[in-house]
Amino acid sequence: MKAFDYIRPQSLEEAEGHLTQEKRVNILGGGVTLFLELQNNDLTPDIILDVKALPGFHDIRYHHNHGLKLGAAVNLQHLATGLEIRRHYPLLNQTAQELASPQIRNRATIGGTLAWASPVSELAAPMLCYDATCHTWSPRRTRTIPVNELYLGDFKTALEPDEIITHIHLPSFPARTYGIYQRQTVRHDGRRMIAGAATLAIRKHHTLTNWRIAVLGVDDRPKRIPEAEALLEGAPDEEIIHLALQAVQENIHPQDVVYARSDYRRAVLNALLQRSIHSIISNLQES
Amino acid sequence: MKHEIQFIINGHARSLTVESQQTLLEVLREDLRLTSVKHGCSTGECGACSVLLDGEVVNSCMVLAVEAANTEILTAEGLATDEGLHPLQKSFIDHHGVQCGYCASGMLISAKALLNRTSRPHEEEIREALVGNLCRCGAYADIIKSIQVASRARR
Repeated sequence: MKAFDYIRPQSLEEAEGHLTQEKRVNILGGGVTLFLELQNNDLTPDIILDVKALPGFHDIRYHHNHGLKLGAAVNLQHLATGLEIRRHYPLLNQTAQELASPQIRNRATIGGTLAWASPVSELAAPMLCYDATCHTWSPRRTRTIPVNELYLGDFKTALEPDEIITHIHLPSFPARTYGIYQRQTVRHDGRRMIAGAATLAIRKHHTLTNWRIAVLGVDDRPKRIPEAEALLEGAPDEEIIHLALQAVQENIHPQDVVYARSDYRRAVLNALLQRSIHSIISNLQES
Repeated sequence: MKHEIQFIINGHARSLTVESQQTLLEVLREDLRLTSVKHGCSTGECGACSVLLDGEVVNSCMVLAVEAANTEILTAEGLATDEGLHPLQKSFIDHHGVQCGYCASGMLISAKALLNRTSRPHEEEIREALVGNLCRCGAYADIIKSIQVASRARR
């Protein structure tokens, strides 16, 4: 690693002082991907700005009407174990439990993981399904970016270079919300992803509404497939499910990788989604 | 940029000067000579450099030394006491949890983190706890057995 200055501001005002200088600054959350870039000298910043001591960055607040606020520096292990996550956002909880390794989950932050914008970012899938929004701060303004609009493809995001994610917000969901995350990877820790998908729907009497499908590894960014979601609305039968799966296939652009060809990634995604959709529909049988 | 930092390492308070870009792994191995902490992949994949940071297992190659200021760190050197080896260490010896030994300290640290929160883990929980530790000898079966036996012996 090339030499840099490490700065751990205690307030956003203090952070601002470092961001307005004529210096190359990289924001540090947990560092699990940033350090790889630094070691390869792909990034050679003058300053590493650690956001983990900023006020509110470790906040976790749930309110049954207003939803969940998660500070950007909350680690992924909390999503895997936290009581409020398990109770109110089980899809997020399930995904976090399967994500990476204990070592990585203890370090990686929510803000850093979302800002990294990997096309195989497993955290993105439940965040997309739960309509999460990123709240950001920069020396010029604060703003709100839906996670759905954060990803521009190929690791690019809507964030400006000096823009910091301060917290993530998830709206509240009714108790009868069903979600499932499925993935196929070469390695058990989630590396070398072939395909992955999170699926969610809300039960209303004997129908399922507000379907969400978020896919990973089959395009240049994690993304929702609204064309398929719209078809599933209600109580979908086999024919409708078939049409929805077809709509998914028409809206993805998987790449060949050394461990999986694009047609194989399509086939895997199709199987994962078929299982997920059936699993969610099976909840209708229980009263 | 130099930083004066303090932390507690294996029960002893230490003060030292580190550079911003030094990883915790580098400082533990090179400056403090705690060579149980192994340098494996530098990318957070292999777990050979695992240490406990305030009780939670982390890859020390993925933490800057300066980030570890005011924390408590445990490496495999800190497992044994004056009374002898830790039950996990004894069990790794008795049940062949060590082949070439390169992954062993990381395995021990991950196992310690697991036993800190679950006194009698199931095999599945042990496997999950070791997801971030690779053993190139493929001694996983004996490593899992070593941890199981040690957790029973503790009661």
